[in-house]
Amino acid sequence: MIDTAGPKATATARRGPVMDRRALTRTIVIVVLLLLALLALPPLMSAYYTSTMIQVAIYSIVTLGLGLLVGRVGLYSLGQLAVLTIGAWVGARLLFATSQPFILVMIEAGLVTMIIGSLITLPALRLRGLYLALITLMLAGGVTVVMQTLNFPNGGGGFSGYNGSQLHIPQIRRPSFAGTDPAFYRFSVIVAIVMFLLVFVHLRTRPGRAWAAIKQSEPSALAAGINTTFYKLWAMALAAFVTGVAGALLAGYQRELLSIQFPIQNSILLLAVVLVGGAFSLAGAVIAGFLQAFLPAALYNLWGVPNDWLIILFGLGVMQVLATAPGGIADQFPKDMKRLYRQISRLWRPAPPPATADGAARRIIIQETAEIHTRSVVIEEYGQARAAAEEQADLGPSRGAEGEREP
Amino acid sequence: MPSWSDFQPYIVTGLALGGIYALSGVGLVVLYRATGVLNLAFGAVGAMGAFIAYSIIQAGNPGWLGWVVCILFSGVVTLGYGLVFGPALAGRGPLVQSVSTLGLALVLFGAIDLVWPTSGGQSPSISFPTDATAFSVSQLAVTWTNLIALALGVVIAAGTGAFLRFSKLGTAMRAMANDREITATLGVPVRRVEAAAWLGCGLLAGLAGLMLAEMSGLDDTALVFTVVISSLAAALIGRLRSISVTFVAALVIGVIHDMLTPITQLQPYADMTPFVLAAIALLIMSSGQVMTRSREEG
Repeated sequence: MIDTAGPKATATARRGPVMDRRALTRTIVIVVLLLLALLALPPLMSAYYTSTMIQVAIYSIVTLGLGLLVGRVGLYSLGQLAVLTIGAWVGARLLFATSQPFILVMIEAGLVTMIIGSLITLPALRLRGLYLALITLMLAGGVTVVMQTLNFPNGGGGFSGYNGSQLHIPQIRRPSFAGTDPAFYRFSVIVAIVMFLLVFVHLRTRPGRAWAAIKQSEPSALAAGINTTFYKLWAMALAAFVTGVAGALLAGYQRELLSIQFPIQNSILLLAVVLVGGAFSLAGAVIAGFLQAFLPAALYNLWGVPNDWLIILFGLGVMQVLATAPGGIADQFPKDMKRLYRQISRLWRPAPPPATADGAARRIIIQETAEIHTRSVVIEEYGQARAAAEEQADLGPSRGAEGEREP
Repeated sequence: MPSWSDFQPYIVTGLALGGIYALSGVGLVVLYRATGVLNLAFGAVGAMGAFIAYSIIQAGNPGWLGWVVCILFSGVVTLGYGLVFGPALAGRGPLVQSVSTLGLALVLFGAIDLVWPTSGGQSPSISFPTDATAFSVSQLAVTWTNLIALALGVVIAAGTGAFLRFSKLGTAMRAMANDREITATLGVPVRRVEAAAWLGCGLLAGLAGLMLAEMSGLDDTALVFTVVISSLAAALIGRLRSISVTFVAALVIGVIHDMLTPITQLQPYADMTPFVLAAIALLIMSSGQVMTRSREEG
């Protein structure tokens, strides 16, 4: 696993004020994007895309939970869709059985899901990571089986709340202030923001540091006095909680849940989109949400592309991400864009005189090795190489070269 | 409560199913021991092979051609994956390597759904001539297919156990399970041994896919996931290590799964059997410190 935290941490230490300004810019960009999503998008979108964007918001929460497990703690869960199913079931059952406010039901569904999810994964958490992946895969299979028999509540009585012979199926209720699709979209986005903030706070405080230590090396985390089982369980519980909340939200969005909407392959697909989107960052969770919900809907709407092509694409994506780009799109896309920008900006500059050919070659080599070697060393090397190149060609520092310095 | 005689026929089918799970479980364990990869695409590869065999037989070709193509296809695909991604991911730990095989599973699953879309009504199936001929053991009807399935499980489990213990290649595989680097320095051609393990696992996947398609029909979701989950459970109970425990666990899972059929309250939950048994096994394992820590997680 390529260490993504190291260079960033040293960079922060070296140039604190610069990072602060960048963090501020980033916050402003995020706030503007969220305001656009909340205020500008709903009147512009058709009913089809409004409904799709609700799913994006919901699945972003799910991929947030899974990304937390995979990227921050190193726990590969293959059963996160089963957790979502449990959340949706509990949410739907409570919405039918009680007249509690929707938000309260969401929190309750999250808590129930958290307890069930933690209990199921507790035995595997004490074993090595591979066993957790296997037990969660089996959980996915098991929950699928149970749901086929139990079914989702449709207003019937008893524990299951399912009445197979019901003629008129009542719809699952939505909050009174978010009855229509655009209003429910805004509500879902706000819930997603709250969940992202919840996870963000965790990452920035004690549990986040413990998870980072566990991910680097479990034995050394243990040696540093971190209760690894407890913090792994905490991560699992937090992920299950946000996923359970997303499940209740999904129940309110769908208004009618069927067990065939949660096939077992989607469990694995969910891990695939998280890996492809980028498991190491919160932005990756949003990208994964778009990959999961928006891309299939848009491709189907525009060109009638069947979903199977996307399954194949995500399958290839998983293999590619694991083999070459562990950071996923969230990590790789800015790098690629930066590289593309350099390529393009080079076109507009006059061709370098022959004297710098050597410098250019060295620059490429340095760029290649940057992925492998420690970055500070590379930056030093680069500084020397550029100084030499400037002496020879008497060129001022170019913007493309500035980009090179960014870690 | 159904009487004992209601259960009896399901012992036979359960043992047959258990034989197939044993065969799959052994395939998974051998590859894991040699390369540290848990092939989660095992079911998908076999399923794709079975669908190809189905198409070949539907086109009017003799049955044996379809069977051979099914097994060879699975072997070649698995070997190809192993040759490309085995070295690329070597040293990344069993977890990442195993998750990567899920990518292959997704690709194959999507491809199956594209080429052979699920249609309502009768699901396609492959049939062996051995289905029709049956004999009876103490008043229980046993088809030759059932017997073949169980026999395959027994032969392959015993054969693989002997192969790992006595042959040179098997010894190399066991050595690699302990430490890949040291084995390489001892002069074992690591890549070639790994390729052999991938090929063996693929051939077994094809065989398992073919037999299951014959016994329970060509249902892509069931073939892709149920096989993997059931045989994984057996392999887990065998701690991904012991072939004999895996074999017994697979038979138990198969028999319990089928014996639940007459009990109407439990029948819908029969597919939970592997999950429940594996969870119990994990609980027992995690309470005693029996897990070896020879492989470092990635």
